[in-house]
Amino acid sequence: MFAQVLLSGIANGCVYGLVALSFVLVFKATETVSFMQGELLMVGAFAAVLLVEGAGWPVLLALPVAVLALFALGALLEAVVLRRALGRPHLTAVLLTFGLGLALRGGVTMVPAATHQLHRLDLPLPGVIAIGPLQVAGAHLAVLVATGLACAALAAFFRFTRAGVALRACSEDPRVAALMGISPSRMHTLAWALGAALAGVAGVLLAPLTLVHPGMGLIALKAFPAAVIGGLSSLPGAIAGGVLVGVIEALSGLYLPEGAKELAVYGLMLLVLLMFPQGLGGRGATR
Amino acid sequence: MRRLLTVFIALAALFAGPAPAATPGVTDDSIRIATIQDLSGPIAILGAPIRDGIVMRLDEENERGGVHGRKLRIAVEDSGYDPKKAILAARRLLGDGQVFAFLGNLGTPVVMATMPLIVEAGLPHLFPFSPHLATYAPTHPLKFQLFAPYRDYMDAAVRHLVGQNGYRRVGLLYQDDDYGLEVMRGVESGLAKRGLALVERTGYKRGTTDFASQIARLRAADCDLVVLATVVRETVAAAQEARKVGWPVDMLVTASGYSAQTHELGGAAVEGLYGVSVMPHPYPEGADGALNDWIQRYRTRYDADPNVWSAMGYDVADTFIQGLRAAGRDLDVAGFARAMASLNTTPGFLGGPTYHFSPEDHLGNRRGRMARIVSGRWQLVSDYLE
Repeated sequence: MFAQVLLSGIANGCVYGLVALSFVLVFKATETVSFMQGELLMVGAFAAVLLVEGAGWPVLLALPVAVLALFALGALLEAVVLRRALGRPHLTAVLLTFGLGLALRGGVTMVPAATHQLHRLDLPLPGVIAIGPLQVAGAHLAVLVATGLACAALAAFFRFTRAGVALRACSEDPRVAALMGISPSRMHTLAWALGAALAGVAGVLLAPLTLVHPGMGLIALKAFPAAVIGGLSSLPGAIAGGVLVGVIEALSGLYLPEGAKELAVYGLMLLVLLMFPQGLGGRGATR
Repeated sequence: MRRLLTVFIALAALFAGPAPAATPGVTDDSIRIATIQDLSGPIAILGAPIRDGIVMRLDEENERGGVHGRKLRIAVEDSGYDPKKAILAARRLLGDGQVFAFLGNLGTPVVMATMPLIVEAGLPHLFPFSPHLATYAPTHPLKFQLFAPYRDYMDAAVRHLVGQNGYRRVGLLYQDDDYGLEVMRGVESGLAKRGLALVERTGYKRGTTDFASQIARLRAADCDLVVLATVVRETVAAAQEARKVGWPVDMLVTASGYSAQTHELGGAAVEGLYGVSVMPHPYPEGADGALNDWIQRYRTRYDADPNVWSAMGYDVADTFIQGLRAAGRDLDVAGFARAMASLNTTPGFLGGPTYHFSPEDHLGNRRGRMARIVSGRWQLVSDYLE
């Protein structure tokens, strides 16, 4: 039973981790805590549902297209709205993301088909696989694999592509990066777009685990502590933070007294911040 | 304060005298009522079909010439499940002075916020979709309700199931809010009457995605019946988690999980699930006679299949119409309230309960029926439970 719950916690933690990753990606590049990641996740899941149920696309085609659509949405929001906050106090951008999140959610709830029923995204996954004594849901396995792939892809992007290296440079020191011929505004767009796409990946992964509904974005409430625990500026830290949050949540639900489960995650965040003010993955200089 | 108000309204009703022109919302050839629904918020999934059911019933009555020669009109307001918006909507409608009664307002927060305004303005507050005690008790001349608190239904349902299937170890999975606690009280009181107590209880917050730890906990307590104080999504998730780990425990869900979506989304995992039904789900397959006609009319009109909420909306409007008929052609609020307070409805083709009102008791029905998902659809498996 312990292993079963642990596994469930890890799989759930991976989704937290992906959302946390999108927080971190945006924060590193723009120093803005984005409060719309949860809503972007919800929009991503709905985009996939729209393509599958509305347009009749095969699921395997709809998923990448939904993620690409989120990438485009992120870029669009940056170009139309968030770019205007450059050079203003950080709070401006934070509040803008908050407002954009509300607008996204309001937009989705205006569509009757979105609010009048729950939706299910049927991925071609095996139902339950028995591994020894463990019963593993296909959807959980998919989350684990997809999170691994997403991390590998991101790591490769940051290490081996020009855009990735440029984005890193920009987040280290935008002025020097600009002197080197990198356009900080394009990197700004790229960061928001990537952040949105990652939230979209989390959304389509979450869809088979829960169902698709306008309240899905609430998961960001768990992902944010995960990002903070991971140090807010470390990509591996975000995933580790997410998995830690997922596992702590699952195990405290099993062993601690009733009600402690909801507190455990935030308690952990406070504890980590007390002991490691930079977060578990944080390093070196504070700005 | 509330008692003073009751006395005041009763006195006002006594001395109001026959002044039909002064009855708000009532003219010689029309009656205008209002409803506050959630058409855009988190429970729009209920609000839209409720509205459709209500409007359909009123229009049907109008096609037959209306009630005592008066056509029925309704103003539908959207609260988005937000009490603040609901108050604005209620104020707007009350300010016009063109509304006779409020019918079937949706959502406990909305109802708790707007009900005082409505009854203070002297308008009937009828059959809200909120299983809250305050909607009918203490008895108020203008408050009438069709739906009992979850506690009443769950008390009877748990007693029935324990008696029938001999469960000894009952556990509870509950949403950690008023709704969940209300169900918990009902389950506890039902169990106590059978000499049992909950062996395990475990909560979750709204928006929870994973039920592995809750199900593991209930399983560790060796429950033989798990009561679910959940809504559709969590019902499906909890049942799927239990079946995934190979735990074939019996489960019972509240009326909130009694929805066709539960088996549409839950598939094999929810097969055998018990539920509490207040109104039978209007399945098109196998419907005959008047029910089939109604389903076809609904489909033609709304281009969608009716669900249990459409049926409830229709039922609410039908009960209102029966009250209006009983009140007679000379319509004022006091006369209508008197007629309502002794109304016994005739059951319709939808298969809902009959409603009995008395001057002392303004809750029309306290009883639900057991239902069970068999071969992918809800089937009623008991008569109305005492």
